[in-house]
Amino acid sequence: MEIDLAALASQLVVGISRAMILFIVCAGLSFVLGVLRVPNIAHGSLYMIGAFSAYSIAMRLFGGSSAGFWLALILAPLVVALVSLVTERVLFCHLYEREHLMLLLFTFALMLIFGDLVKIIWGAEYRSVSAPDLLRGSVSMFGASIPRYNLFLLIIGPLVAIGLWLFTNKTKMGKISRAAAVDREMVGLIGINVSWVFAAAFVIGCCLAGLGGSLVAPTVSVTLGMDHTIIIEAFLIVTIGGLGNMWGALVGSLIFGVTHSFGVLLWPQFAIVFPYAAVVIVLLLRPRGLLKSVW
Amino acid sequence: MKRIVTMKSLVFLTALYVTLFILLPAQAKARPIKVGVIDCYTGPAAMFCKEALEGFELALNEINKEGVLGSKIEFTTRDTKFKVDVGLSMAKELVMRENVDILVGTISSGVALAVSDYCRGEKVPFLVWISKSERITGEKGHRYVFSTGENTAMFGKAGGVALSKKPFIKYWITGDDYEYGHAIADAAWRNLKQRKPEVEKIGESWWKVGEPDLVPYINAIMAAEPDAVIFCTGGGSMVNVMKTAKATGMSDKIPVWIPTATDTTILRALGPGGPEGMMGTSDYLFYHPDTSDNREFVKAFQDAYGKYPAFPGFQGYITAHFIAEAFKKAGALDKEKFIDALEGLKIESPAGEIEMRACDHQVVLPIFMGVTKKVPEYDFLITTDIITLTGDDVMPTCEEIMKARGE
Repeated sequence: MEIDLAALASQLVVGISRAMILFIVCAGLSFVLGVLRVPNIAHGSLYMIGAFSAYSIAMRLFGGSSAGFWLALILAPLVVALVSLVTERVLFCHLYEREHLMLLLFTFALMLIFGDLVKIIWGAEYRSVSAPDLLRGSVSMFGASIPRYNLFLLIIGPLVAIGLWLFTNKTKMGKISRAAAVDREMVGLIGINVSWVFAAAFVIGCCLAGLGGSLVAPTVSVTLGMDHTIIIEAFLIVTIGGLGNMWGALVGSLIFGVTHSFGVLLWPQFAIVFPYAAVVIVLLLRPRGLLKSVW
Repeated sequence: MKRIVTMKSLVFLTALYVTLFILLPAQAKARPIKVGVIDCYTGPAAMFCKEALEGFELALNEINKEGVLGSKIEFTTRDTKFKVDVGLSMAKELVMRENVDILVGTISSGVALAVSDYCRGEKVPFLVWISKSERITGEKGHRYVFSTGENTAMFGKAGGVALSKKPFIKYWITGDDYEYGHAIADAAWRNLKQRKPEVEKIGESWWKVGEPDLVPYINAIMAAEPDAVIFCTGGGSMVNVMKTAKATGMSDKIPVWIPTATDTTILRALGPGGPEGMMGTSDYLFYHPDTSDNREFVKAFQDAYGKYPAFPGFQGYITAHFIAEAFKKAGALDKEKFIDALEGLKIESPAGEIEMRACDHQVVLPIFMGVTKKVPEYDFLITTDIITLTGDDVMPTCEEIMKARGE
């Protein structure tokens, strides 16, 4: 198959747009990893809860109208924030001093519990969220048609990145979180209530998972098991980007998304392999990730 | 006078004792028929399995009103988690500890094949529903395994025959990278190429099961400009495929055949926004054929579960009736007699009379082909321009099956 520049360009756009969702989810995971030192395996479940909540809000409460979608985009992450706040205050906050293996097991248990809760609340049916009228269909770019929704993701991703940068660099809360990521004892010693800093950081990280879930909902089937798919990719991305480094999550997501979409074009039978091969290469060259890890 | 009354009550008491000590244990001897259901109740596949179980339960509620051979059919379920090792150990547990008479399940072809092999050794009848690998009743078939659903050979042949009548030459084949996907692709392409040798496969692409983002795949296919695309996707990927085909504009530009595009489970999930004009195949449609049997089943299913039945519900329903009718015909709770009775058994179903073919233990079902269309009656798409293929049109012959089994 001959490959023209138009096809390459459109694959690049599509790959980057997928990377935006991965980035939003991974930034949350990385943030929690950095500040709390918790490898949160249940992060994928919160992404799934975000997607299911978006379904309930957009399709059930608002009957699939455009307004319903926009509201879901705001409210679904808040639902996830609430779930994560309760989880943090009731369970997590007692466990921070435990070793990583314990936390890993604990979040794994949470993943199973959340998975079953979703099954109890929403059932096993496949759910589908309609995109708003504005974002339906496709536009012609470089001679290929690209779904409008993917272009929308290209706008949302950088907005979230800018928002996170402003939060971590310009707000007091953000600065404390960054400080806690570097040296949490010191932050406690200067009289800051570390417990609430942790709670806030956890909720913000999980909220991003919820946002990722509600953003992905119109492009996929909202179904049980979407937590497993995302969490493996998310951990790979966070690892190649540098544990706890949000910009690493961005770089990792871009590598993952773009190698995937180019792989599909260049060697479709083996496209599955490309992003994982990229992960292997990165880890061979830079075992601690591309950017500075806070661990 | 008083004495006589006492005598009467003595007689009555004796009668009561007789009932209690002789009749009751005698009734207890007619033990229930135990069915072990192994299927996947976690993850994306759970939707199909839950519905199959609902259809099964609905039928058992009807059957148990009068009972089978004076007893009732009971069932117990186990979750395979879509894993072969888990499914196999659940099957063993049900056979050895629960002493089930029959095993039923499962959505995963891999699990079905492994359990089938185990059942062959243990001489336990195993009725397979939902999973579609043609190997279950084909090359890997044996005396103890039956299939109550259509399989990849049937779907693939139906697709191949239908596509050979279309003018397309350049095809792209794509789908989920697992047993079902490749089996459908092989069967469809084999049948298409046989009937129309000039067709050409210009490319293939396979994604991992559950791949959330299909836009790069579909973009790449559109860039290659095939005349038509064969999608070999099942279960969880279907909604994604249909959504992406619509969002990228593929459904308007390139003809697409997907074995399960017209399946109610998928169209129901997509709602009114599903893509129109997709060619697909299904072995059960709740609105076709519009017979009183079908309407009754649909109504009973809706009353019980609040939704229209799709193919898993139908397969669960006929599986229960096959079990009940076979035991009635066998006249005893005996596994070997049950199998003899089930071979060639014909039952009435919502889709008309269906038969369990004796030579390979594969149910003979009609297959409905058509295209998706929006209609005002439902808030999701349905199939129109339906062509009904009978089982005989699309099933491999008994000779072909025996050849595949090396017999």
